[in-house]
Amino acid sequence: MSWVLVLPLTIPFVTAIFAFLFREQSAGRWISVAGSAALVAASLVLLVQTIDAGVLAAQMGSWAAPFGVTLVADLLSAAMAVITAIIALAVSVYALADIDADAERAGYHALFNVLIAGVMGAFLTGDLFNLYVWFEVMLIASFGLLILGGKPEQIDGGVKYVALNLISTILFLTGIGLLYGMTGTLNMADLAGAVESADPGLLSVVAVAFMVAFGVKAALFPLFFWLPASYHTPHFAVSAVFAGLLTKVGVYALIRMFTLVFDHDIGFTHEILLWIAGLTMAIGVLGAAAQNDIRKILSFHIVSQIGYMVLGLALMTPLALVGAVFYLIHHIIVKANLFLIAGVADRIAGDTDLSRIGGLYKSAPFLAVLFFIPAFSLAGFPPLSGFWAKFIVVKAALDVQGWVIAAVALVVGLLTIYSMTKIWAEAFWTPHPDGVDPSLATLAPATRNALVLPVAGLALMTVVIGLVPGGFMSFAETAANQLLVPDAYISTVLEARVE
Amino acid sequence: MEALLAITIGILVAAAVYLMLSGHMMRFIFGLVLISNAANLTIFTAGRLTPGAPPLIPLGFDGPAGDVANALPQALVLTAIVIGFGLFAFAVTLVWRAWVALGTIEADDMRIAEPKEDSQ
Amino acid sequence: MAAAAPTSRGHGLLGYGPTALALALFIWFLGFLPVVSAGQAASWAVPWIPVLGIDLAFRIDGLSLTFALLISGIGTLVLLYANSYLTGDPQFDRFVLFLTSFMLAMLGLVLADDLIVLFVFWELTTITSYLLIGYGHDSEKSRRNALQALFLTGAGALAFLAGAILLGEAAGTYRISEVLAQGKAIQDHPHFTAILILVFLGALTKSAQVPFHFWLPNAMAAPTPVSAFLHSATMVKAGVYLLARLHPAMSGGDLWLYTLTILGVVTAVFASLLALRQTDLKQALAYTTLMALGTLVMLLGQDSGYAMTAFATFLIVHSLYKAALFLVVGNLDAATGTRETDALGGLGRVLPMTALAAALAGMSMAGLPPFLGFIGKELTYAGMLQVASFPVILSIMALLANGLILAVASVVAIRPFWSARQPKTPVKNAIPWTMAAGPVVLAVLGTIFGIMPGLLQNTLVAPTVLSLTGDIAETKQLKLWAGVNLPLFLSLATFVLGGLFYAWHATLRARLAMLDRLPNLDEAWDRFMASIKTFAIALTSRIQTGRMTDYMAVTFSTIAIGLIATVLLRGLPPLSPSFADVTPIHLALIGLLLSGTFMATITRKRIAAIAALGVVGIGVALVFIFFSAPDVAITQLLVEVLVVVLVAIVMLQLPRLRDYPNRFRPGHAVIAAGVGGSVTLVLLAILSTPLDRRLTTFFETASWPEAFGRNIVNVILVDFRALDTFGEVAVVVVAAIASIALLRQNRKGRS
Repeated sequence: MSWVLVLPLTIPFVTAIFAFLFREQSAGRWISVAGSAALVAASLVLLVQTIDAGVLAAQMGSWAAPFGVTLVADLLSAAMAVITAIIALAVSVYALADIDADAERAGYHALFNVLIAGVMGAFLTGDLFNLYVWFEVMLIASFGLLILGGKPEQIDGGVKYVALNLISTILFLTGIGLLYGMTGTLNMADLAGAVESADPGLLSVVAVAFMVAFGVKAALFPLFFWLPASYHTPHFAVSAVFAGLLTKVGVYALIRMFTLVFDHDIGFTHEILLWIAGLTMAIGVLGAAAQNDIRKILSFHIVSQIGYMVLGLALMTPLALVGAVFYLIHHIIVKANLFLIAGVADRIAGDTDLSRIGGLYKSAPFLAVLFFIPAFSLAGFPPLSGFWAKFIVVKAALDVQGWVIAAVALVVGLLTIYSMTKIWAEAFWTPHPDGVDPSLATLAPATRNALVLPVAGLALMTVVIGLVPGGFMSFAETAANQLLVPDAYISTVLEARVE
Repeated sequence: MEALLAITIGILVAAAVYLMLSGHMMRFIFGLVLISNAANLTIFTAGRLTPGAPPLIPLGFDGPAGDVANALPQALVLTAIVIGFGLFAFAVTLVWRAWVALGTIEADDMRIAEPKEDSQ
Repeated sequence: MAAAAPTSRGHGLLGYGPTALALALFIWFLGFLPVVSAGQAASWAVPWIPVLGIDLAFRIDGLSLTFALLISGIGTLVLLYANSYLTGDPQFDRFVLFLTSFMLAMLGLVLADDLIVLFVFWELTTITSYLLIGYGHDSEKSRRNALQALFLTGAGALAFLAGAILLGEAAGTYRISEVLAQGKAIQDHPHFTAILILVFLGALTKSAQVPFHFWLPNAMAAPTPVSAFLHSATMVKAGVYLLARLHPAMSGGDLWLYTLTILGVVTAVFASLLALRQTDLKQALAYTTLMALGTLVMLLGQDSGYAMTAFATFLIVHSLYKAALFLVVGNLDAATGTRETDALGGLGRVLPMTALAAALAGMSMAGLPPFLGFIGKELTYAGMLQVASFPVILSIMALLANGLILAVASVVAIRPFWSARQPKTPVKNAIPWTMAAGPVVLAVLGTIFGIMPGLLQNTLVAPTVLSLTGDIAETKQLKLWAGVNLPLFLSLATFVLGGLFYAWHATLRARLAMLDRLPNLDEAWDRFMASIKTFAIALTSRIQTGRMTDYMAVTFSTIAIGLIATVLLRGLPPLSPSFADVTPIHLALIGLLLSGTFMATITRKRIAAIAALGVVGIGVALVFIFFSAPDVAITQLLVEVLVVVLVAIVMLQLPRLRDYPNRFRPGHAVIAAGVGGSVTLVLLAILSTPLDRRLTTFFETASWPEAFGRNIVNVILVDFRALDTFGEVAVVVVAAIASIALLRQNRKGRS
């Protein structure tokens, strides 16, 4: 049984090793694609088994919890694993055309797969210190990916990214030390019980330390600076995987810790989260409105959208958590895709600065469709996935008479339309300033397929989630119930058979 | 001694934060060294201190003879030291690289990714 | 607009296909007439999102069927028309896709029996409208106007969404028929006022009521078939539809009555004045559409059978004649290349079918007998006279508006064709039958229904009134001759007034130029959009400053404030720091650590800094040794050596430290003290509580018997928590790869 939980971690590591060995040849990139495909299969098996069992747990090294390290998947973790694998596959196909040989020789594919391994580890571990380790794996791999290419703006963005993320990491580590000092345990399921005998005031202080540490990772206001400073600088494949996954690991960690462990003082901790969520949504979307480069606009929108997810957590009602889970899934797909599309636009129209490009609607209509779907999904238009995500969160806010926060969520939705239509109007509708007709036909067929297939696949998922949201929503509901009443999670982890 | 160490950690952290805020990347690196040490000491101290009794099991015993130091925080700190070093090495290289590529060692002069004209 | 001379073939199957689809839908909807006219409704529902209680539910009653027939019927004619109108247009495939999608969305909107499903279709019409207004996307103006419509109706839609959610919550269901079945009970709910205001915001923006009216004339940037279909006959009536749909449950209160009556009247009068002001025929029609929407909204404000019958009738009348006239203007444009009223003349004999359609539709619009427009106007007057308050003022307002509209009808429908005083406009393109069919069919229908109002009476009007009031008996008779009564006198007054307005319309138009001096919301819109951007830039440049010291200061401040505020608000357990066990050696050790720290902080010499870091590292290692962690101490020393070496190597490549001043920064010192102090405080609090050592106890007992290791720390690393160690190795390896990648890059970034 435990192999289902171990595989999503092992596959990317093994892939990374082989991709590194073959980094000088084209085999390296195909190994990466094959590894990602295997990862999709493995994580789907994990998801199916998790749906079957409710919660899966595996004790590493056969040491019973809480003594060893436990890998655990509830529905949220399993879903995140699947989405991660899907993004990995999409991006590794896209990378076939986006990543140059220099970057490959420097170890792009290895770094990428280690990054995915770190993300998987973060989603699947049931141990707080082990979570720290995966955060670090993810972080160092992201450092490497961010600076590949070495353009001055990458180094510049990299400095800010590295510095601020290191602060977060060290705060996280300190928080673990403090929490251990209070409870004597590191296993998250065990912590859930152990904190009950802790001093509540002290626990709240430690909770806030974690909130800030994860808040940096998740790019919450006022801790998001590193994100808009750096996400527009690396390769498009890199910024897509960052945009899709990295902040969401922070959100995941917030959701996990603030439903499982830090739920003793919701009136305080979650009230803070509520305010932060509102400010994050608003400041992020205004940041986007101030930008004129596709990737910069999208970067600020990551921040803004994270606010919606945290709002779901902050409200802490069953429906709100459904919203948070649904939002996570929706947003990863849509945001990664938009960055990939920015790359295609850059490739055929020559830039991502809106004042320097145009004409894509006329001469690249297929790309226009592919952009329109995730863009209007992000803006919350029905019947796309983003509408339902926004709908649930807003409804959850209205259900508890959170008029102000619901209004903020709706107005931010309107301003999201503002930015998305800005990209649409300037990159697609407006004629190209140089009078050229940017077209996908100018790309070599292999390049075109590698760039367009992942984009089309992700767009299709957005449409499917939007049109038949019922199943996804029921899934999110079960996942949310597991979060809200984590009894099954706790008992499965603590009682999982040692094989 | 635990209390004294707690105060020392606070001072280390404060010095580290002060250095990291200086805007000079090398001083940031000094701060990073200090704050990593502080974090490791925090874990170590939070696991409580036991002088003169390393967590070892003497030959012929199934467990340690008497009360020994808490082994778990030691293991965590070991892991954290090594991981911290990995990140640190990259950070130092990046600072050097930034000096080469951007021609400055002062963080606030690094304005290529976010040029000044953007924020007007 | 058209790229080539219009032909009847147009784009062939690409044009005929959607036309046939629309026609098939129209015929299919006709099949529901027997059911609906019998006062029944047909409905379907399948579960869509059970978690939220949202079903794909549809229902056809009088109101829905009236709309559905108008949408599919006019849709058929408009699609047929557009195929020829856009002959040779390279983007016709997209155009017809958008237009057909719009039609389907609009049908979904009027058939939906679930509030959320209705909203989904509502937004689909918004999106398709956006794409169609921006069809001429090369022009800045088209793009701007498309965004304006999207943004304004989108804002309203978000309010409506909130209203729909609250309404669903208040009624316990999203199913519209179930909400309506509860009658006026909803009005007792504490959120009713909020719900009503939110629904109004959605409906009144969509239906372009003052002060949200200005997007509609701008939406005329779309090709003429679009204007005829979306921005006159159908989409702009979605707001009206929503109000009508909810009328049975939500009408009756003062808020409902006064909001709709006042906004409706103001819109109608204001729009009819502006209609006469226009010289572009399409713009003139756009404003008359506003006038009609205002009238419909005003009627919906009421409860009387007259008003409801008038609503049902006027809805149909307006769609018929207005769509016809838009298509007529499209024909004029296609034939002559202009839509300017003063440039058009003498076209009656050249474009006979268009002229015929224009005359019939124009007279219906003018409200002359025996056209359906006359009946609609009579009923409207009757409805006005029945209103609860200010019937006289309202009737005078309606009279004024109708008079103006009569004049506009003459300007649009008669003058370009028959006026002897107009110059003869040269005709460049012939109008194929496909473009004549639409206006003719619509105009003739308006005539037939006028002569034989019985055709509509029980089939559509009565069932619509049933939808609006729940009582079919409220329906009044549609009659050309309703006897000598006040409405008749008002009609006669309208003719006189309208005639005078027409006779003097040139003078009036010049006078109406003063309306331009009113505050112009359209220009205010541009300022509003610019101010969003200005505000966003101002705010963002203060937050995302680009300066890393700002970022760090805010981040550390957040840590400090977060921790200290929580300590103050939530409290800590009592601290019991004990210094009893401190020995002089301890003190010396701490002294060493702190002096290294102090030195590292203040020094301006590279060598001193490196030495200071080394001292701190050794101090920490000594702490580990003192407190029984020899393995950690050894690792610490090794790593410390590497750290110092690395720092030294890099420092030698960098400018000297002393070139950079290290002045005392009080603000930063406060932040630093806050972070450091709160860490100490929390740590002291934790140290004042007992530690649960059960994990370590397990490791101590299991280490040798089960894991065969005598060094417990090592056993934890390689066995109990081997996964951590695995990750740790990965970090180190990847750090090496990443650092080498950095080192290899040259100045330009190439490796």
